[in-house]
Amino acid sequence: MSCIEIHALSKSYNSVVAVDAIDLNVKSGQVFGFLGPNGAGKSTVIKLLTTLIQPNNGTISVLGINALEEPLEIRKKIGVVLQQPSYEPTLSVEKSLEKYGMMWNIDKKTRKKRTEQLLESFELTEIRKKNMEDLSIGQRRRVQVAREFMHDMDLLFLDEPTVGLDPSARRKLLDFLKNKVKETGMTIFYTTHVLTEAEYLCDNIAIINNGKIITVDSPNELKKRFGNEKTIKIHVSVDIKKLETILQEIPDYKIEQDDGTTITIQSTNSEIVLMNILKILNHNNITVNDLSALPTNLEEIFLKVVSDSDASNN
Amino acid sequence: MHPIIRLVNRNITISINPGFLIWQVIFPLIYIFVAGFAYTSLIDNVSFGNKSLTYPAFLASGMIGFNIMNSTLVSGIIIWNDRRHGMFEQIMSGPFTRSHYIISNIVTIAIVGLISAGLITAVGYPVFFESVEFTLITIPLIIFCSITGAILFGSIASIISTRIRSSEGFNVIINTAFLFFAFVSTAFYPASGAPQPLATIFYLNPLTYLVDIIRAGIFGTITEFIIMEMIVLAVLASILFIIATKLLTKLDF
Repeated sequence: MSCIEIHALSKSYNSVVAVDAIDLNVKSGQVFGFLGPNGAGKSTVIKLLTTLIQPNNGTISVLGINALEEPLEIRKKIGVVLQQPSYEPTLSVEKSLEKYGMMWNIDKKTRKKRTEQLLESFELTEIRKKNMEDLSIGQRRRVQVAREFMHDMDLLFLDEPTVGLDPSARRKLLDFLKNKVKETGMTIFYTTHVLTEAEYLCDNIAIINNGKIITVDSPNELKKRFGNEKTIKIHVSVDIKKLETILQEIPDYKIEQDDGTTITIQSTNSEIVLMNILKILNHNNITVNDLSALPTNLEEIFLKVVSDSDASNN
Repeated sequence: MHPIIRLVNRNITISINPGFLIWQVIFPLIYIFVAGFAYTSLIDNVSFGNKSLTYPAFLASGMIGFNIMNSTLVSGIIIWNDRRHGMFEQIMSGPFTRSHYIISNIVTIAIVGLISAGLITAVGYPVFFESVEFTLITIPLIIFCSITGAILFGSIASIISTRIRSSEGFNVIINTAFLFFAFVSTAFYPASGAPQPLATIFYLNPLTYLVDIIRAGIFGTITEFIIMEMIVLAVLASILFIIATKLLTKLDF
């Protein structure tokens, strides 16, 4: 079942096109990653989907509800953690959670129980009495995300939720989200700039650039489609100048000097390039100290997809 | 619970803090009991309608209006604080409409206005009880002033909140507005003793109308002029409320 359906959606601010006639279909019960460089249109799409702003053109259906006709009905069923911090400076951490639950009409007993659970899950117990204005950026962000779980929801929008979090807090948040999706069957619409996060968490990913969606697929499928360029590293103990001379006929490689010399092959035909290099090294009696093949990661794919998109626009 | 009640609950929780309460109680008390009695040597008696009031009684009754203005200007900045701390967008992405948000702010401001008026009436009562002339409309008049004044000054604070983002600009404007409302009015001194141009400017200030009506209610001196002032106040509050609502409705994210 589709959780989000967007058709020909456009949004402009004065003459700047932020979202350019996009179509998107997000199935329920998954973590859907929404990636793109700064200013690509991610936050605008989230604001459109959460009914904070109105589109210029197109249709939006969230949880089967028309966003243009019944925005309040959508907002009753979703959770939103926006990119910018939001907090009540004079309230303590636990009071913030409790009051947020009250705003969502959660009964007192449930509020109390959830507050305790979330304080523990997000490691906020020690700072529960501290005022929000006295917290660090990372602590505030943790409260902001935790607060959203005070109420029940079918769909959660998380706009760069891990900004300001240390690696340990980041991993704990990702695991918490994974478990929530598994336990409740909810859907998460997730934006981030940290692509390892997206790879770890997301079932499907859309990449947006200049207001247009370039591709939508699972991380594995994206790797298969765009990750045909493999990286192979060969470490040898030979002077860099000599290597440059003997390998000058070979394409798609670069040489770096470290404790020895590393030859990096980055090519769609990396196996053939490797064979040719090994042949030459053997012919020149150069011993290979180490050889490693690096798996293609999402970051490389993201960079490639975005730069291809920029090139085609230009 | 209705969304407006939930938002009012939240607004009151974030508005009522020790600093706010001290500001709301200590500040007028100092005026009533220190300035009131200290200035008695300079200002002996003040005529109001057909009555002659002691200066402390005149000042204490003026402080009710002053406190309504002061408290509602302060609570009216909820919108500015919400925008500054990202809570406006957060609330608007939740189970609330803009109407819920606007009405909840006005209700919060009215509650704060009523509490402030009640508080100063209670603490100022020993100062002006000798001149009090309770009538059937004394309490309704004070409630009218609390609500109308709250809507008026709350709307002014809301308008400023929607137009200005920077804290420096906001503080300059809100403090200037506060100084004008507080001191270019009949809250602290009668218009009759002031130079004519200044006395005229007093009547460009809604706080003057507010304190005149409150005094008329407390000292039983309702005249046609007071009724006219009530109409002016109600019309002005309605106009400002409509402007504030329109601006809030158009507020972009």
